[in-house]
Amino acid sequence: MEPNPSLAPRSFGRLNGRGLWTLIYRDLRRYWKYGVESIGGPIVSSLLFLAVFVLALGGQGEVGGGLTFVQFVAPGIAMFALMHSGFFNGAAPLVHDKHEGMIQDVLSAPLNAFEVAAGYGLSATLNALVTGIAVLAAMTPFVALPLGQPLVALLFAVAGAALFGLAGVLIGLWADKWDHYSAAESFLILPLGMLSGAFFPLDGLPALARTLILFNPAFHVIDGVRYGLTGYAAWAPGASLAILLIADLALAWLVWRLIAVGYKIKP
Amino acid sequence: MDSTASSSPPSPLPTSPPVARDLGAVNWRGLWTLYAKEVRRFLNVSTQTILAPIITSLLFLAIFTLALGRTIPSLGSVSFAEFLAPGLIMMAILQNSFANTSSSLVISKIQGNIVDLLMPPLSPSELTLGLACGGLSRGLVVGLSVGLGMWIFLPIGLYDPVFVVFHAVNASLMLALLGMVGGIWSEKFDHIAAVTNFVITPMSFLSGTFYSIERLPDNWQLIALLNPFFYLIDGFRYGFIGHADGSLWVGALVVLTVNVGLWTLVHRMISTGYHLKP
Repeated sequence: MEPNPSLAPRSFGRLNGRGLWTLIYRDLRRYWKYGVESIGGPIVSSLLFLAVFVLALGGQGEVGGGLTFVQFVAPGIAMFALMHSGFFNGAAPLVHDKHEGMIQDVLSAPLNAFEVAAGYGLSATLNALVTGIAVLAAMTPFVALPLGQPLVALLFAVAGAALFGLAGVLIGLWADKWDHYSAAESFLILPLGMLSGAFFPLDGLPALARTLILFNPAFHVIDGVRYGLTGYAAWAPGASLAILLIADLALAWLVWRLIAVGYKIKP
Repeated sequence: MDSTASSSPPSPLPTSPPVARDLGAVNWRGLWTLYAKEVRRFLNVSTQTILAPIITSLLFLAIFTLALGRTIPSLGSVSFAEFLAPGLIMMAILQNSFANTSSSLVISKIQGNIVDLLMPPLSPSELTLGLACGGLSRGLVVGLSVGLGMWIFLPIGLYDPVFVVFHAVNASLMLALLGMVGGIWSEKFDHIAAVTNFVITPMSFLSGTFYSIERLPDNWQLIALLNPFFYLIDGFRYGFIGHADGSLWVGALVVLTVNVGLWTLVHRMISTGYHLKP
């Protein structure tokens, strides 16, 4: 008797493209569903930061490279929003899925560890990029940015979104409850984002702090994006990009391995 | 167990008819229980509720001092960091006392244990007082902790402690009451998140925390004077540095009036059961 063809294992080829897209699409939908908070929230808080800097300074004050202070700080504010959004959109879906037991739907689907890692990582990256670009667009009526090399800025933004998205996935895997997520946000991500040169030029810092800040990946994201948007860089953009790409690959490898061994997601 | 007790069946009726418990004019034990529950809620997660605001405020102090410290002229004998510190302490007070009451009410409503507030023999006045004092306590604990955290890095002197205490207490109370209004109105987390993002954060950012409103253009100054949070920060800062942008007596009057108004509103919401009772 012929075996029932519907019972034969389905062939996906080397990559289960439809499954991967479904996983990504689910988290994009989640992001849009809470658009008021996921896009509106960062836009309002970023414009508030900008307003405080403009109102307190009157938009004056020169920074290096002939930029006004507001031109200097606007890319930093947008990238702060992008990195924070990447972390949230990487971690929250995993913590939520683990908390509600829905992680089983992902683990029992015909997706291998690489596809699961790629699904969570890529959706966080895309959501973070949307937030960052929306914040930057919302600031353009108030700040004149030269936009010298938009593709360079985009490249750095993608690298930064992936980095913080993957860091979010990592924290999401590790966190057993929302308290753990909040602790990582308050004590790791916010300090990295705020002490990154997003809001202040480096020449005001003591020499030791100027060296230490090079170990902060957020600095390289912001410096590179600022270079693309305004042409001013505090450090070497090429080296920054290399550091970011290496960090991206290392984190992606770590997330992939952790999902493959089922760290805190399989019994 | 002796044999007589086990052989005679227990009487189905109590020997005396049930009497309502006499709680007196104020149900002190109930009020204390509610207050203790509200305080334990935030002490239980003190990493998030006390340590996190300290770190965030210190980060704000660092970035604004680094970004603006050199370009902003100091106000008389006061450096920009000394000007900024009281504003940041006040901002932590505002955000935390709001978070305490609003999250308590929204979580209770969503999880259904709001009936545990509505069923006990607590009057609307006692409910308002218990919840508001919980938020007030969180505001004061956070304010004191943030202040001590900053004191490590910055010489914070007291000019007039009366103003410091008056404005810290009234700010905590105002935001605890606002948190109750928001929490009672909200039907899901999205609603209260929207209130926090689009009302409370903008009002606290644009209230003179980071700059003296004398630096603002005239029409912006007028708008700042309409924001009750401005008087909280201005009076609080006067208690530290001895300089105020607005009138201190107008400020105290505005703050007290707003608090009496909010208290009346919350009391009315609870007694009519607005968004609380079916």
